[in-house]
Amino acid sequence: MLIKLTGGTVYDPASGIDGKVQTLYVQDGKFIKQPASDVKIDKEYDLKGKVVMSGAIDMHTHIGGGKGNIARMLIPEDHRKDPVHRSDITRSGCGHAMPSTFTTGYRYAEMGYTAGFEPAILPINARQAHMEMADIPILDKGGYVMLGSDDYLLRMLTAKKDQKAINDYVAWTMNAAKAIGVKVVNPGGINAFKFNQRQLDLDEKNTHYQVTPREILQVLATAVKEIGVKHPLHVHGCNLGVPGNVETTLDTMQGIGGLPMHLTHIQFHSYGTEGDFKFSSGGAAIAESINKHKNITADVGQILFGQTITASGDNMRQHANHGFANPNKWVCMDIECDAGCGVVPFKYRDQNFVNALQWAIGLEIFLLVDDPWRIFLTTDHPNGAPFTTYPHLIRLLMDKSFRNDMLATIHPEAQKMTTLASIDREYSLQEIAILTRAGAAKLVGLEDRGSLAEGAWADITVYTEDADREKMFEKPDYVFKDGELVVVDGKVVHTKWGTTHIVRPDWDTSVEKDLQKYFDRFMTMKVGNFKISDDEITEDGRGSLTVHSLNGGT
Amino acid sequence: MSALTFTVKQETAQRVDMSPLVCQLLKDMNLADIAAIELQNGKRKIRADELFEITGSDTQNIVIKNSFAKLDFIAKGLQDGNVTVVGEAGAYLALGMKSGMVTVNGNVGLYAACEMKKGLLTIRGNAGDFLGAALPGNKQGMKGGTVLVKGNVGQRAGDHMRRGTMLIEGNAGDYCGSRMIAGTIAVMGYTGRFLGYAMQRGTLLLWQQPTLSATFNDCGSHTLAFLPILFKSFARLDSKFAQKSEAFSRVQRYGGDMAEKGRAEVLVRLDRRAAQSNTAFSAVNFH
Repeated sequence: MLIKLTGGTVYDPASGIDGKVQTLYVQDGKFIKQPASDVKIDKEYDLKGKVVMSGAIDMHTHIGGGKGNIARMLIPEDHRKDPVHRSDITRSGCGHAMPSTFTTGYRYAEMGYTAGFEPAILPINARQAHMEMADIPILDKGGYVMLGSDDYLLRMLTAKKDQKAINDYVAWTMNAAKAIGVKVVNPGGINAFKFNQRQLDLDEKNTHYQVTPREILQVLATAVKEIGVKHPLHVHGCNLGVPGNVETTLDTMQGIGGLPMHLTHIQFHSYGTEGDFKFSSGGAAIAESINKHKNITADVGQILFGQTITASGDNMRQHANHGFANPNKWVCMDIECDAGCGVVPFKYRDQNFVNALQWAIGLEIFLLVDDPWRIFLTTDHPNGAPFTTYPHLIRLLMDKSFRNDMLATIHPEAQKMTTLASIDREYSLQEIAILTRAGAAKLVGLEDRGSLAEGAWADITVYTEDADREKMFEKPDYVFKDGELVVVDGKVVHTKWGTTHIVRPDWDTSVEKDLQKYFDRFMTMKVGNFKISDDEITEDGRGSLTVHSLNGGT
Repeated sequence: MSALTFTVKQETAQRVDMSPLVCQLLKDMNLADIAAIELQNGKRKIRADELFEITGSDTQNIVIKNSFAKLDFIAKGLQDGNVTVVGEAGAYLALGMKSGMVTVNGNVGLYAACEMKKGLLTIRGNAGDFLGAALPGNKQGMKGGTVLVKGNVGQRAGDHMRRGTMLIEGNAGDYCGSRMIAGTIAVMGYTGRFLGYAMQRGTLLLWQQPTLSATFNDCGSHTLAFLPILFKSFARLDSKFAQKSEAFSRVQRYGGDMAEKGRAEVLVRLDRRAAQSNTAFSAVNFH
């Protein structure tokens, strides 16, 4: 099948193309050079005057794993308001804050997204997370395996094991859990919670293991770098949501000593303690620090107003915030002594001072970070807002007058506490393409995605230019996944299955000896069952694995 | 004007969603429009006139004749007007009812008066489980109005109930008043196990001695002046609750559930107290 996409205005930052009229050719799912004139074109799409980008990639979205199911169970009232009926080609489900797997796939695709990455796969729950993501149609997926509060690592740190041993353990776990990155959530804090600590600062010791978050970040960031994983250590820092945490976050950036590190949903970690309400914006300081430290990347975790549900591995902070649950019900739990989980429904309100300022802080960070390759568009779905709000968020970034109109409606005290009104920056289409496509692909370490260049997989989104960017981005004209047309006019017309992106770093097989003993003694499953085999992803005939390369050519 | 009457022609094998046939939605509609309304029937949709013979014109007075136990969501969100059901009703009768009156001659299914807000619901037969409860996962059940049941009720009557009055002439099943936030449930017959389980506030008014869990404390016998006033408020109901002979003011009071807030009370009538009723009793679930 040879497809010709004629005359669209192409935004492909990965190849340095910024709004050039170009014709693209796709054969068997990938972009090819212009074929010889005598080759038969099977299908041509006239894209004159349309905006063409690659398929968008959400590099941090909670779409798989146990906490999603807990979230679904916790808010049936949200689902009742948004039932999704089956059609001849799509399955039934439900939507809004935490949609069913099938609805997740359809709605992402209908906004032009073709990949999503689950940022918090607990090793012990990785099988379930992959099985759940296997039910998300159209999208490619992958995940970051969560380490840092697991007893095995903390025991290694207490025993002063060398970096090499930790590297082997990290690489082994990534292979066992089929991950493409490593995430750390409230480093050591989830574990400290079990020893009755209710907060843990960067240099505070876990009372049992005598290990600090700073040490955990240091060894894990080093491990990720040394085993060659391209996605930097994905960090959900200490003190999420605590006024004054901006200092901790700045210290975290500074303290990592130049190692690559990705700070996720950084908006939740950018709060000061100034003003009458002892809550202020640290957005400018955070942005300045990101601009200065070239080893740091961040996604924002923007909040948008309305009902949602927060689902996090950070049971320490979720427990602290359970009083804000709206509706008033919440879950905090331990997961097999390996990690934790907290699910708290939230209603962000524009007339609430704190929520309003959170909204403004997120936007400040977006607009004050200079390098679009190092900042990423997320709402930490569903924690800041459901992913379906992305077109609205894009409009806030691209349209200053719209942004200021919205700013004028929020809590008046919050308006006084933000510099948002004085920021003139408007994102360009090219910059949006970097945030949501090329930059995300590069950050996650995807080689042949997020680009429209020859040889890349043909994930394509075609939009009609519209001054109302929300309208433009919520309803693409066409979406192609691996060269197959899946969405027309913002509606799914065809479904297929995406692949699972992973890496396979090397490790010394001797690590398994000690792990075997540990599993036999403490864990609920045997080492052999803990490891996910390739067949488990692929044997149903619709899943597949795509292995990406590592730094250093291994 | 005669009442708008839906007479079932033939019972269907699958359940029917009756929520479109409610007074406020039919206002200003003529018979032809009403006949053309599509109702969900299992997987398929059927026209109203396929299922019913439709006569009459007063859309604010609806009568459903030959009704059967698969007609769900009757009088859903009723805002005003009367709905009379001759026969049985299915699940979710008067779900979220806001005002008006609903009367059913026969038995009704699960979740009758679920999250009801105001108005009067009379059930002459038995009611299923979760009478006046919250939808699964929701935090607040019935929030107001009166439910009168002449027969028995199933389990979990008043689960998560927030406000309002539930009057039961027959027996109540297990977990009567469970997780109740507030409101009043009166039961003339026997009650089942786990009465008032995790009850926060509210009143259970009983004619028969219940089996109470260890988390309810005996607070002694009292003559309560508010009881005659409460009984007087039932005077206009077509019910045993309106009869002077059933009223009383002397009660044994139990406080609980101490495993929860513990500010709820169970009041058990003291005079003419049946001595033999001290055993656990479970209402028969008739579904």
